[in-house]
Formats: sequence, structure tokens, C-alpha cells
Amino acid sequence: MVDLDARGKSTREINQSLKQFAARGEEVHLLNPQARHNLGVAIFHPFQLVIEGSVGYFAASLCDGPDISIRGNAGWAAGDNLMRGRVHVAKNAGASCGCTIHGGEIIVAGNVGARCGISMKGGTILVGGSAGYLTGYMMQRGRIIVCGDVGDAVGDSMYEGAIYVGGKIGVLGNDARLEDLEAGEAESLMEMLDRHEISAKPAFKKIVCEGKLYHFDKLELLERQVV
Amino acid sequence: MCGIAGILYKDSASDPNRSVGRDMIGMLESMRHRGADSTGVTILGESISGNLLLRLHAPKMGLNGGNGRDPQGDGWIRQSVRAIEGSGATIVDWSGENRFLRLTLDYDGDVRDLAEALYGLPDVQIHSIGRCSEVIKDVGDADELETRHHIAALNGTHALGHVRLATESQVDITHSHPFWAFPFCDITVVHNGQLTNYHKMKRLFEQAGYRFQTRNDSELIAVYLAHHLERDEDLERTLHRALGDLDGTFTFLVSTPTGLGCAKDKWSAKPLVIMERHDVVAVASEEVALRQVFPEEIERYEPQENEVMTWSI
Repeated sequence: MVDLDARGKSTREINQSLKQFAARGEEVHLLNPQARHNLGVAIFHPFQLVIEGSVGYFAASLCDGPDISIRGNAGWAAGDNLMRGRVHVAKNAGASCGCTIHGGEIIVAGNVGARCGISMKGGTILVGGSAGYLTGYMMQRGRIIVCGDVGDAVGDSMYEGAIYVGGKIGVLGNDARLEDLEAGEAESLMEMLDRHEISAKPAFKKIVCEGKLYHFDKLELLERQVV
Repeated sequence: MCGIAGILYKDSASDPNRSVGRDMIGMLESMRHRGADSTGVTILGESISGNLLLRLHAPKMGLNGGNGRDPQGDGWIRQSVRAIEGSGATIVDWSGENRFLRLTLDYDGDVRDLAEALYGLPDVQIHSIGRCSEVIKDVGDADELETRHHIAALNGTHALGHVRLATESQVDITHSHPFWAFPFCDITVVHNGQLTNYHKMKRLFEQAGYRFQTRNDSELIAVYLAHHLERDEDLERTLHRALGDLDGTFTFLVSTPTGLGCAKDKWSAKPLVIMERHDVVAVASEEVALRQVFPEEIERYEPQENEVMTWSI
């Protein structure tokens, strides 16, 4: 295990060091992050990174493979576009947490801001606390699990995937609807909460796409025999 | 994009030497990446001689001299002094350099009359009139503001700050934040965002007799809040009312003689994080700014959409 001190280093120097350690598979503890932006970005190897404190915007973004633990808060767009791997935030995360992720897991023990999981294309986002406005906006695949409350317009314009809410739901978004959980789904969610040591055990409600905004039945003119 | 910040010491009476100026400059320096077109602060709760604090600026003067009306570049000062004394105020103290003037007055009249007298002067902008506050703003980043205006030396109870990346109106000192609510003492606003119903609302306020010194949408927020605070006096209710009336994207902070308030739009489009302890509250667009004042790991809170918060000294 290597200790890397962020003090006195540029963001680029830190990230280049992290990429080198990641390529060798060495575990790194990043000290004194001081809520700086863009830490732990674009890492493409499986390796363990523990950030000992709070980070700013775009922490652990554009990654494929690493397991990153943030022992503090994260700013906006934590775990942006994660492909595989895991990002864990011990406290709260800001808006656009897990935006556009394709895979992997993002776990936030506390609350997240607005637009959590916006346009996500796969993977799982687990929030131990509450989530804000437009949760799961335009999501295309994957799961968002919120143990607490969600704000208004949850699931607005989602295509596929599911949003599970343990607490109060604000106003459902356009084309979102509630659906009963399938057999075994609740147990699978509880198992996931246990695995991530989240003590809340709420009765989850499930939000999916109603499909009324889908207009995929019409073929384009050139695809049809019109004359 | 812009950056906003606020700090308020709740137990300020027990420690009058706390430098909210130093805290604020540190926070604004750390948010330089959010905008360096201009930087400004409101400092509240300074102990002043006299009972009124004025901050004036002569934007049309050349850097090394005057303009056509005022070739020596000091006529605007004489005009200001004449307007102030003509309103019945006594100048207790003054200081100034490079087109900026800070005056403390003894004045028992209506502040509106004094503000009107100064408003009529063609070369003068009123940055603020306050019982306990002053607005200090300039073009450039926080380092430049500190070099020219020595903010870190200012003690007080609470403060607002702003770094600007202009999206609305001109890049000059007049259109920098904070905006003072003409002619209401101590009400100032810093704003991150854009108002989409600015022109319509401004016209309504102008028709009701209000003055605007700039073409910046954020000035409207200050005047709007001051108008309702004069009638209601409850900051939280006034901020909730603003959420319904103001349209667009915004997170803004407002100063009053005894406190600070914040409001966040229904889109939750602009960031804000808050750290509150029993003795102090600090708010900023980014946690990196809070950490300038509190280097240790902190618990912080991010307000959600349509949320309003207030704090008192």
C-alpha cells in the first residue's frame, strides 16, 4: 500500500501517479484531498484507491475498473461515466452523481443532489440517504436505489431500467409509473444493502418507464413502401 | 458560471476581532476557476464612526484623471460631498483612492433622500449605503481585489462574496456583484445564475418608483427582496415568495443587518454547500471554498431544489 499526499501537487501530477499505480495494481491511499476537483479521473485498471477525505467535482470520473473509496463528501458528478468498478462515497455527494454510467456500482452512504443517474446506460447507483430533483432523468438502463426520499420529477423521460425508492416520492416524472416488485426483488435489494453495510431496511417502491413517449413503431419514409 | 460565498459568526459579540474579510478573500481565491471577470464582497458588522457607511465609485473617470465634465477627476468628489451635506448629513470620516470613495456619516434623515441626491450625479455610482455594511467590488480576481482594497483587514460579523464569469450584462465594476438594493440599507445580493423574467419584473418595479443603477439581472433580486422585507420583515417568508416570482436559474445569497439567507431555484441548477456549527455558518458554491476557512474534514449539506435557509448573528 502506498501513501500519496495531494498537498503541493497539481491535479495532473496526482492523476498521472494514480494511473501508474493502477497499472501496477498497487493500492493507494490519497491523503489531503481538500475537496479538490478531478481527483482519480480516467483510471482504466482494477486497483484499490482510498481517498482520505472530501473531494470536489468529477471525482472518480471516466473510470473503467478501479475500486475507489472516498472517505468524505463528493461534489458534483461523482463517478461520471463509470464503465466498470466501484465508487463508494462515505458521506454526501452533490448533483449529477453517477451521470451517464454504463456499468459498475456507485454507493453513496449519505444524500445525493439533483439529477442522480442522469442518462445512465447501465450499472447500479445505491444511495443510503435521500436524492433530489430529476433522479434518473433520461436513464436508459440500470438501477437506482434510494433508501430515503426522492424529489419531484423522478424517472422523468426514462427509457428503461428501474428506480427503487424506500421513502417518500415527490411527483413522478413524465412517462414514469409505479410497478409492483417482482418475486425475489425485495430480497435481492436487502442483500445489496447488507453487502454495503447500509442499515436502513425500507419497503421499496419501484418506478419504471410507462412507455407512452415511445414512438418507435413508425418506420422512416425510406423504410416503408409508400409508392 | 459564477461562484458565491457567505460566512456568518453567530457568537460574534464575544469575539469582535474575527476577520470575516480574511475568511471571505480566502474563499473567493479558491473559487477563481468559477470566474475572474470581477470579484466583490459585502462586509457587515464593522464598527464604524458615525451611523451610516457609504461606498461610492466614479466609473466614468479615466484611470489617471477625469473626463470631459470633470477634467481634474476630483469634481465628482466635490459633487458627492455637496449632495451629502445638502441632504443634511455630516461627514465624519472619509478615505478613497483610484475612483473609489468610502465615507462615514452622521445622518438622521431618510436614507432614500440621500440616495436620490447621489443618484442624480452623472459620474457617481452608489455601491452601497448601510448602517453596518459596505460593498467593495472591482474587476479581476480575488488577489487583485485584496491588493487594491485590503479586504483581509476588515473585521465584522458576516460577509458575502462573489466571483464572476459574466453571462449577463457588461464586464465592469458597476455590473460586478454584490448588488446593493437601492435605497435600502444593508440589503445586498450575490447571485449565480440567470433570471429569465428580468425585463418584465424590472419594468414593474420601475413603474412602482424603484431605481436601478445597472442592467444586471441580479440587481433586481436585491431590490425585490428589500421591497418585500420592508413590508414583511420575515426573511424566510420573503425568500419563499421569491422562489415563486423569480424565473430562471439561480442560487443566491442575501445579506441583512442581522443575518444571511439563501434560496435555490426549482431546477436545482446551481450549486451550494453549507457547513453549519454552533458558532459559525459558511456557505459556498463549492466545498473547496469552505475548506479555506475550515481545513479539517467537515460535515456539509447541499440544499435541494426550492430550498430556502436563513441564519442570524
